[in-house]
Amino acid sequence: MPLINLPAFAADLLADFERLGTLRVDTPVIQPAEPFLDMAGEDLRRRIFMTESETGKSLCLRPEFTIPVCLRHIETATGTPRRYSYLGEIFRQRREGANEFYQAGIEDLGETDVAGADARAISDAIEILAARLPGRHLKVTLGDQSVFEAVVAACGLPAGWQKRLIHAFGNSAQIDSLLTRLSSPQPVAGLSPQIEALLASGDDATLIAHLDETMEATGYSTNASRSPKEIAARLKEKRALEKTALDGRTLGLLREFLSLSIPLAEAPAALFAFAAKSGLALDGALSRFDARVAALGNAGVDPGLLTYRAAFGRPLDYYTGLVFEIVIDGSSAVLAGGGRFDRLMTLLGARERIPAVGFALWLDRIEQALARDGEAAR
Amino acid sequence: MTITIALPSKGRMKDDASAIFEKAGMKIVAVGNERSYRGRVEGLDDVEIAFLSASEISREIGNGTIDFGVTGEDLIREGLAEADARVEFCARLGFGHADVVVAVPEIWLDVDTMADLGDVAADFRARHGRRLAIATKYWRLTQQFFSAKHGIQLYRIVESLGATEGAPASGSADIIVDITSTGSTLKANHLKILSDGIILKSEACLVRARKAEHEGDTLVARIIEAVNGALA
Repeated sequence: MPLINLPAFAADLLADFERLGTLRVDTPVIQPAEPFLDMAGEDLRRRIFMTESETGKSLCLRPEFTIPVCLRHIETATGTPRRYSYLGEIFRQRREGANEFYQAGIEDLGETDVAGADARAISDAIEILAARLPGRHLKVTLGDQSVFEAVVAACGLPAGWQKRLIHAFGNSAQIDSLLTRLSSPQPVAGLSPQIEALLASGDDATLIAHLDETMEATGYSTNASRSPKEIAARLKEKRALEKTALDGRTLGLLREFLSLSIPLAEAPAALFAFAAKSGLALDGALSRFDARVAALGNAGVDPGLLTYRAAFGRPLDYYTGLVFEIVIDGSSAVLAGGGRFDRLMTLLGARERIPAVGFALWLDRIEQALARDGEAAR
Repeated sequence: MTITIALPSKGRMKDDASAIFEKAGMKIVAVGNERSYRGRVEGLDDVEIAFLSASEISREIGNGTIDFGVTGEDLIREGLAEADARVEFCARLGFGHADVVVAVPEIWLDVDTMADLGDVAADFRARHGRRLAIATKYWRLTQQFFSAKHGIQLYRIVESLGATEGAPASGSADIIVDITSTGSTLKANHLKILSDGIILKSEACLVRARKAEHEGDTLVARIIEAVNGALA
């Protein structure tokens, strides 16, 4: 049976969290499963430990801390800004490694200085890892969802395509197949003559009324799921786009952007040059990107550690901006990962929008890195 | 070594499976009365027949408590993680055909492909305040197809143990993943299969639990060969 003792450095971590001015919180190990499945998707179901209460409510063993910490913040109705830290066990089914292990991290909720909060999350994560793993060369990879969103918007693509691309961001196979698909026209076929005629007439009201009647007649509710209006609108959009294909120049620009992988210090200049050369108006996103790079400099982060990879993102709809990951140079084990999730708090039920950024530390992997070095030293 | 073969305990599947074994020169006789759940093969003393329900066969073969089973590929792939590493599909038997499919309301005129469905799913929460709900009893197949193959993450599975095809009309889910053999039940419920929405073309298969002791066993090889011979 694997030992599940707290890592030996846990006390030092907690001291770090206190020194960084965070408020340590703990959350129940047994959590309602709904919010996790709702936010992270069904794929998570295979990886969490689920059970049921006597009344049939789905429960799970805490698979991560961000959602419980955010829910706790909403429930206790504490004001913002607030920086929480946590350290505790999480439970996930993994092919390799133990199913229960320790995670620690910081969630920074409600800080309106976005660039400053982003920089602080990265610099805190680096500082904590550097203290635990002295002498190791850390490598930080950054991505930014909002820059990609700005590129896609500035390309003037149809709204539906923009949504698809943004949704696939962070999953390179998905983005690739999507770009290929958009490069050839997608005809709309199989419609009945009556629907074709209604579409051709441009008479939206009659089309919607027809869909409404058909749904009534076939026993489908017109408001429980997709409404006649929604179906008609998307059908019209598809029809309008069926002869359109992503043009070669735009495809080239998107691929060029996604292939960017450069030292962060050079990234603002490279992005401004990309915008100027391509004629894309990215001003807002780029100035926010630039502000973050400046804030990282002000926070004293060694720019030599930081790489910007334009295609790096997480394909979940609550991530909104920065994402980052830290490894030891030459290793693939992610020791810390984090990002900005400005949409999560409202999705979880917060009444107003609360900007949020945070990161988690994988304590088992930090321990393994320490153990490897211990062996090497002997 | 005694080899245990599990066959479906009732219905057409039982008759069709028995017919193939008989054609393969392995006539199955019930031990005791006609309704008994044990059987043997005429002339093969080292073979035992267990009559189990199709889903039990999938579970028992995964556990390795039986050596061979006849059951639907859908049940094996749904019931076992990494099915191909744990069982060998020795023969496709040509009966029990059923496709596991993604079906949406016919009235969703704008949705023909999984890519369309991905668009709808991505937007669903913003429009309806909840995730797209899929009624199914095929959790694993649905997750693999949606997440791994099509990169669609944002949906919720609503477990459905019967009359799945009625879920969209009753409002308990938006779309379904279910088996269909002729498509007539789907049609009757005003559902259509997406053009790239066939998850699995299933049929009854002879499957073998991958066990080390089967290596070089002549009886095991003989059973596989005989069944395949009967199909040729």
